[in-house]
Amino acid sequence: MRRFVLGEFSEPAACVEAARKLHAEGVPGLDAYSPYPMHGIDEALELPRSRVPLIALTGGVLGASGGYAMQWWMNSVNYSINVGNRPPHGFWTNIPITFESGVLISVLSIFFSSIFYFFKLPRTYHPVFESEKFRTASLDKFWLSAETEDQDQVSSLEARFRSAGALRVHTVVEQV
Amino acid sequence: MSHEAAPLPDANLPPFDGGRLLMLGAAIAGAAGLLLTLLGGFFNARAALLAYLVAFVFWLGLAIGAASLVMANYAAGAHWNVTVRRLGEHVAAIVPIFVLLFLPLFLGARYIWFWVAPQEPISKETLELLAHKRIYLNMTSFIWRAVAYFAIWIGIAWRLRAVSLQQDESGDPALTISARRLSAPGLVLFILSFTFASFDWLMSLQPTWYSTIFGLYVYAGSFVASLALVCLVVTGLRSSEEPWGKLISVDHQHNLGKLLLAFTAFWAYMAFSQYMLIWAGNLPEEVQWIVTRSRGAWRPVGQLILFGQFVVPFFLLLSRDLKRSPPALAAVAVWILFIHYVDVYWIVMPAASFDRLGLHWTHLTAFVGVGGVSVAASLFLLRGTRPIPVRDPFLSDSLRYVQP
Repeated sequence: MRRFVLGEFSEPAACVEAARKLHAEGVPGLDAYSPYPMHGIDEALELPRSRVPLIALTGGVLGASGGYAMQWWMNSVNYSINVGNRPPHGFWTNIPITFESGVLISVLSIFFSSIFYFFKLPRTYHPVFESEKFRTASLDKFWLSAETEDQDQVSSLEARFRSAGALRVHTVVEQV
Repeated sequence: MSHEAAPLPDANLPPFDGGRLLMLGAAIAGAAGLLLTLLGGFFNARAALLAYLVAFVFWLGLAIGAASLVMANYAAGAHWNVTVRRLGEHVAAIVPIFVLLFLPLFLGARYIWFWVAPQEPISKETLELLAHKRIYLNMTSFIWRAVAYFAIWIGIAWRLRAVSLQQDESGDPALTISARRLSAPGLVLFILSFTFASFDWLMSLQPTWYSTIFGLYVYAGSFVASLALVCLVVTGLRSSEEPWGKLISVDHQHNLGKLLLAFTAFWAYMAFSQYMLIWAGNLPEEVQWIVTRSRGAWRPVGQLILFGQFVVPFFLLLSRDLKRSPPALAAVAVWILFIHYVDVYWIVMPAASFDRLGLHWTHLTAFVGVGGVSVAASLFLLRGTRPIPVRDPFLSDSLRYVQP
């Protein structure tokens, strides 16, 4: 059973500072929650670079080449029509659709990879939602959480959260 | 990094007084370049004036683009750009010297624009077409239009700089509002006037050809180049010992790099829209301009521009690390400035020399001449002022700006 130690902060700067301190102390499974983007939290938790840009680029390149290949195959292989003696394979007139399909697939790959891979969509639940107090994370408060399997560690983690300046500290246990 | 406001720069910090050697060097090189170009003009007026036109449009475009950048940020209500705004203001403020620099083009107009005095053996159709366009393409209205362009550019660019410098003394936030009110209509005026200027000075080199998007094509190229120039200055300032340079953070540089990426794509969009419509339409009066530029010696130049101004910088600038590294971003910026010169060259020169590149030594002297004078004028205006608007109401927002 996983245990989540939660700490509430009323200011983003205090939350980032606490995250930096706790991360430096080697607190396991740190994560942060806030109602709007907190500047500097990525650096404080030393999170790896986001993979979303890479997914967008891959989707864009695949979409663009797929869109171009589709037009080439349709216009000059499968069903070639002579329009005013223009070449059936017109590179420049293929570019708008190539661009549009690149954008489309790029955006769709961000969307679907986000909801199904990063947000793990069929799962709509996370143990920290058990806490009623945690609701302020979507209103006006900033939260940090640490994750541990070990019940004996919980009290020392709670003490560390308090010394890092958390206003409210409590622990939720994953219900299995 | 942190949310605490960075310390505001001391308004009593001494004004900028660096770059003295650069200013003097640029002034001397500029004067020498202009004199040599003039000398070249006595031997071959046409070649020297065409070279001069390329340099003139390149450097003027930088000023126009920088003014547009300042106005776009005002109009959008941007806060992040305050630390880099004054650099743009001072690139824009050199427009008045281009009034003087325009005189040689005015005096030598008949050597460059053949509609001024058609004398070569030209066909009856072309003559009739020119007579038809006489209402627009005649010397009197050409001059009056030039006067109007310069009045718009000088009036707005100097007003923006004056408002900003005035705020250094008074700190009055109403000045920001007045700059904002000026900027939205100012952008419209700039884009329209620069469009017509490019019709007058560049498109009329081949007066039987027309393209309505041409002005935006030239404008987009100039805007990208002026962003590259601001990137270059910012990376230089950040790497130098200059105390004011320390206030410009890597996040400001990153934002400029992102704008450079976006407007590289904007340039490509304009270039492509013009080319593709002409290619697909395939009408004789529209294709002549492209045909001239895609044959013989001009073909590889066009391909170099396609790859050099779009493909290569676009994919390079996608990298976050590159935009945050001063030397790497500076290298891309220098490349974009170079390729923009090639682009202007490719717009101007094929009109005069269909089959050869038409390289002439005055291209170098005119570039150094107009450029040296421009750089010297910009530094002259910047010295004695504060390179950061110290009392701008959004300065503290700008100083604590970090990438989202």
